[in-house]
Amino acid sequence: MKIFVCIKYVPDTSEAVVKVNAEGTAVDSSRFSFDINDADNYAVEESVQIKEKYTGTVTVLSIGPKESEVMIRMAMAKGCDNAVRVEDARIAAFDPLLLAKVLAGAIKGQEFDLVLTGCMAADDGQMATGVALAEELGVAHAAMVKKVEILEGKVKAYRELEGGLMEVVEVALPAVLTIQTGINEPRYAPIRGIREAQKKELKVVGLDDLGVAAGDVDASASRIVVEKLYLPEVVSSAEFIEGEPEQKAEKLASILVKGGLV
Amino acid sequence: MGNVFVLAEHRQGALRDITFEMLRVAPNVAKELGGEVNVLLLGYNAEAMAERIAGYGVKVLVVDDPLFENFNADKYQQALSKLIDTCKPSLVMVGQTAQGVDMAPALAVEKNLPFVSDIIGLTVEDGTLKATRQIYSGKVNAQIAFKPADTYLVTVRESAFEAPDASVAGLVEKIDSPIKEDLDYRKFVEYIEAEVGDVDITQSEILVGIGRGLKEEKNLPVVQELAKAIKADLCGSRAAVDAGWLPHDRQVGTSGKAVKPKLYLALGISGAFQHIAGIKGAKTVVAINKDPEAPIFAVAHYAIVDDLFKIAPKLAEKLKELKG
Amino acid sequence: MRGMIMSTESQTFTEKFDLLGCIQCGRCTGGCPVTVRTNLNVRRFVYDAYSEEKLEELAKLAEIWDCTACHTCAVRCPKGLKPLEVLIGLRSMLVDSGKVQSTVRNALESVYLEGNPWEKPKATRYDWMEGLDVKLAKPDTPVENLFFVCCTIAYDPRLQVVAKNMVRLLNKAGADYGFMAEGESCCGSEIHTLGEELLFEEIVGENTAFLNDFQARRVITLSPHCFATYKARYPHLNKPVLHYTQLLAELLQQGNLSWGHDLQKKVVFHDPCYLGKQSGVYDEPRRLLKSIKGVELVEFDRSRERSLCCEGGGGKMWVESESKKERLAETRIKDAHNLGAQIVAVACPFCVLTLEDAMKALGYEEEMRVAEMTELLAELA
Repeated sequence: MKIFVCIKYVPDTSEAVVKVNAEGTAVDSSRFSFDINDADNYAVEESVQIKEKYTGTVTVLSIGPKESEVMIRMAMAKGCDNAVRVEDARIAAFDPLLLAKVLAGAIKGQEFDLVLTGCMAADDGQMATGVALAEELGVAHAAMVKKVEILEGKVKAYRELEGGLMEVVEVALPAVLTIQTGINEPRYAPIRGIREAQKKELKVVGLDDLGVAAGDVDASASRIVVEKLYLPEVVSSAEFIEGEPEQKAEKLASILVKGGLV
Repeated sequence: MGNVFVLAEHRQGALRDITFEMLRVAPNVAKELGGEVNVLLLGYNAEAMAERIAGYGVKVLVVDDPLFENFNADKYQQALSKLIDTCKPSLVMVGQTAQGVDMAPALAVEKNLPFVSDIIGLTVEDGTLKATRQIYSGKVNAQIAFKPADTYLVTVRESAFEAPDASVAGLVEKIDSPIKEDLDYRKFVEYIEAEVGDVDITQSEILVGIGRGLKEEKNLPVVQELAKAIKADLCGSRAAVDAGWLPHDRQVGTSGKAVKPKLYLALGISGAFQHIAGIKGAKTVVAINKDPEAPIFAVAHYAIVDDLFKIAPKLAEKLKELKG
Repeated sequence: MRGMIMSTESQTFTEKFDLLGCIQCGRCTGGCPVTVRTNLNVRRFVYDAYSEEKLEELAKLAEIWDCTACHTCAVRCPKGLKPLEVLIGLRSMLVDSGKVQSTVRNALESVYLEGNPWEKPKATRYDWMEGLDVKLAKPDTPVENLFFVCCTIAYDPRLQVVAKNMVRLLNKAGADYGFMAEGESCCGSEIHTLGEELLFEEIVGENTAFLNDFQARRVITLSPHCFATYKARYPHLNKPVLHYTQLLAELLQQGNLSWGHDLQKKVVFHDPCYLGKQSGVYDEPRRLLKSIKGVELVEFDRSRERSLCCEGGGGKMWVESESKKERLAETRIKDAHNLGAQIVAVACPFCVLTLEDAMKALGYEEEMRVAEMTELLAELA
């Protein structure tokens, strides 16, 4: 099995105070912690488990800054064999379709059986890059996969639908699978492994090295424009529901139902 | 300009709510873009579903063919690709669902469509289509403009819009299947229902979390009733697990599990740092606690300061009423 | 990049933990506090670990995670061995295989990436200082007391009060001190006991270089865990390390601290394992409590080196025991309740968390309170 696993270095903003600059063009990330995207972490584990079962190699692929190499080394410590990090300021990182094009540029021309990636990035939540990548590569795919079985020339993928229902599909190899969290139990990257991973190859490339034309993946190539970023009105401060117990319950029930929360 | 296509979503013979939720925004956008709303239903034996959608005053284009008995992302993509060529819709709307995300991005690449996923708002300003979506776990909104194109594609977040009420009867128009053959590279095999009694709380959509405030095991039915009313799974703080009210695998926190439900309803949980660390993935947190100083309120979106035993039964009752 | 430090790979397990020195007397297991709750039999592990082939099997036993690293076994061992280290060695084997439970994985990765085990950003470590008149230490400016704030105190809103109160007490006493506003990172206490030996080595190297750079006469720690770790496991640290109770006792003795109020309460002091049996500090906290007018200081039957562990150490904040039996913290609180204590005074962040939890679980909130020493003192100063 020749596997690529695409991972992303993302901030954990679940508990962070997020501030947007006055121009509405950028978010201050100086106080965030960064790590591998949660779903990608499961994709790394799945790729290593498949390799351990069927032999082969796993190549980590990531578009990101130098700081993200710590995450890449951790993936290699877990068993991935080598890595390619793409860094090029011209890439329009806000557009998942263009990220898919860059990733495809890094994979095209090489043989592969599987490309795994997380089904969603925690920062922009698009859930688009993996499926777009399959289209770019011209291969089959399945999204939100919670269980994988490798068969002869194809893969049986268990897609997790809303409400816990599984949709089982068979897709021909090579294929792209976007991995849902919970598919496995990601292992720890011990320091011993991280030290050993320093010996593994980590190539750093730009668009020119990949033969991807900047004009195909920069902001001018995007079909969308991010006009502004702003904080939604209600952020984290709790709305206290007042009244007699019965009224409180009634108000809350109405909020939950109207907000589509239940 | 052409019409707005809304892709109906169905599963195991039933329409999913997202189909109707998209009808909250589709008519306005269609009007602005100078077209009308067409709901595209790809299914088999789909008459009843088609009639139900038509009841919302829209035209339903139905492909009724065994090829579409079950969802298949690639067949859907092929069908939509062909229909975009022939019908030239100005906008295609798809749910940001397990079906939608499996298909829409590939369609966008194939047809080179301007695409925005997971939108929570959609407007037309001075002829420019604009979408709102969220980034950074919902903490920042992004307003995104589409560059001019013949056809745009969006996926719409579930529950972002409230479905309108059914109105006048619209039309149902049967169209020929745009695809004629089954695919060899992707096949639907089967559906497998979630195993009952084997709950993985890390995957639960709705969780009712209980803490020390429950006081005694004999009070469990109060929260179980509420959980049942909203199809939630029960989980709890270390105290609740320690007390033996819940099994170990239901413990949330740094020494238990990290959960990421759409809704976390914290009942009688004070919110120790170690518990809160486990619910940071929750989209909406509702806290009910009689202690106004309880730290759980700092991370809650909705809060009630009161005795959970006064609130929970009433809440269950009201929710049952509202949900019908 | 992190420095590369080679560990002593060539030693066998038996050599490393001096297993042949064990006479199998069983004093370790006899004194082990968790045996009332779990199946852990540390003597048995020392015995079985002679056989190198058995190690892998032993590492898979759930009991190795029951140890709280309280060091009772080490204190009791007539041969001066540290039986608990055998359990930590077994944990290391598991850690090196990567197959640890997710909570342990997250804590370890968080220390590696963010310098704290709580999955919090490095940058927010100093947020507790907001709104406080706190003096900051700079490497090139001489300072008497350089403060090291524990990760748990820095990030847990329940415990930030410890650092805040310390600042208030120091300002009141006019002490020469400085807190660090950058570069402070986990001491590695829990990393060591969770078995991530190499990460601990790296941490020791980095913190030693970092702390040695300061022109400070001594380092003051807020948590006994940092205290014990710096004292016992940082051989190249160039300054003495104190626990804050030692500093406060000193300030009190010098007449720089005094209490403006009295406290008419019955107080019992719970000796934290890392402060007491691991570091030998028993008297200073008691001296501080006795100095408060009105305080009636009572003693647990199991006090000082016999103090009952609260189960907060040894990485147990990230590993839950399967046992349904009463938590030791609850036993401890019941003992305090029986003594009629109105305040259980503690001087360790983990003890605060476990004992306070136990007190609430037992429903004693109306009758008693668990207070970190700084909470009591700052209220009275």
